[in-house]
Amino acid sequence: MNCPIENRNSAMLVAHAAGELDPLAARVLEQHLAGCEACRSVAAEQIAMWKALDAWEAPPVSPDFDRRLYRRIGEGAPLSWWERLARPFRAIPLRQALPLTATAGLLLMAGLLLQHPGSYAPAPAPHSQAVRADQVESTLDDLDLLRQFGTANSAESVHNDAM
Amino acid sequence: MLLRFGFAILLAAAAVGPVWAQQDPDKQSGQQLVENSIDRWNRMSPAERERQLAKLPPDRARMIRQRILRYNQMNPEEQQALRERYQTFSQLPPDKQEIIRERLREFRTLPRLRRPVVHGEVEQLRLMPEAQRQTRMNSDEFRNRYSPQEQQIIRDLSTYLPK
Repeated sequence: MNCPIENRNSAMLVAHAAGELDPLAARVLEQHLAGCEACRSVAAEQIAMWKALDAWEAPPVSPDFDRRLYRRIGEGAPLSWWERLARPFRAIPLRQALPLTATAGLLLMAGLLLQHPGSYAPAPAPHSQAVRADQVESTLDDLDLLRQFGTANSAESVHNDAM
Repeated sequence: MLLRFGFAILLAAAAVGPVWAQQDPDKQSGQQLVENSIDRWNRMSPAERERQLAKLPPDRARMIRQRILRYNQMNPEEQQALRERYQTFSQLPPDKQEIIRERLREFRTLPRLRRPVVHGEVEQLRLMPEAQRQTRMNSDEFRNRYSPQEQQIIRDLSTYLPK
């Protein structure tokens, strides 16, 4: 298969980590991972991340949270416009607000990275144009398959020659 | 769940973003005929190419050299047509690419005299509207004319192969 990173299809690696790939695609990807260090590394990080998130549990809300909250709202003096604006956010305790804020920030950054990857990439190294020989081989394999099918009606098809 | 996806997307974007950024900008825009890995290979210095090839076993490296030579020596019209076909193919989702690869490999193993017949059927079906295509593939004539393996090849290639 073609390298998912090369093909800009990190979603395939994410889906693999989440166990959402169909068996055929998963098998093909695993074969690729065996030979591609870059993908293997990304896949390993994904799997580690999912495991860490599986282990994470939101802290429980105290039983009298609502009561204390409404009491504090009721006790409040007339509020300035700024306090009224900020009031909905005060209801969220800091421990819960932080993960929410972090998630929003992460999603925003991910969106920006996916939309404008170049803006966040490090400056390319002098050898950044280098193509691995196995990538070229993979492209040649695909070109061969497409060419042989494309010429299946001609005399060339019987030779089945590789490019 | 939201937090989990946030992390997953961010991690994937962070891992893949720099790689994408190093790819040709035309490839990111999508529509023009863009460089494939062989074009990039051809632009590398001979010394860099040899460095990359030296990472592979000598026989495999020699085979790649020969295949690239053959690709570079194709007549320009044929090469252009193949490049266009490959570009359309490489823009498909990886799972569809993999299905096409599998079926094209199977196609290659068909008896020589069956290949033009199957190829012709695929080409005919690709020109048909979806409803007509389905009717044809569900017909007795279709089932009697092609082996189960051929039917599968025809179904998948006529469905997924780029027009």
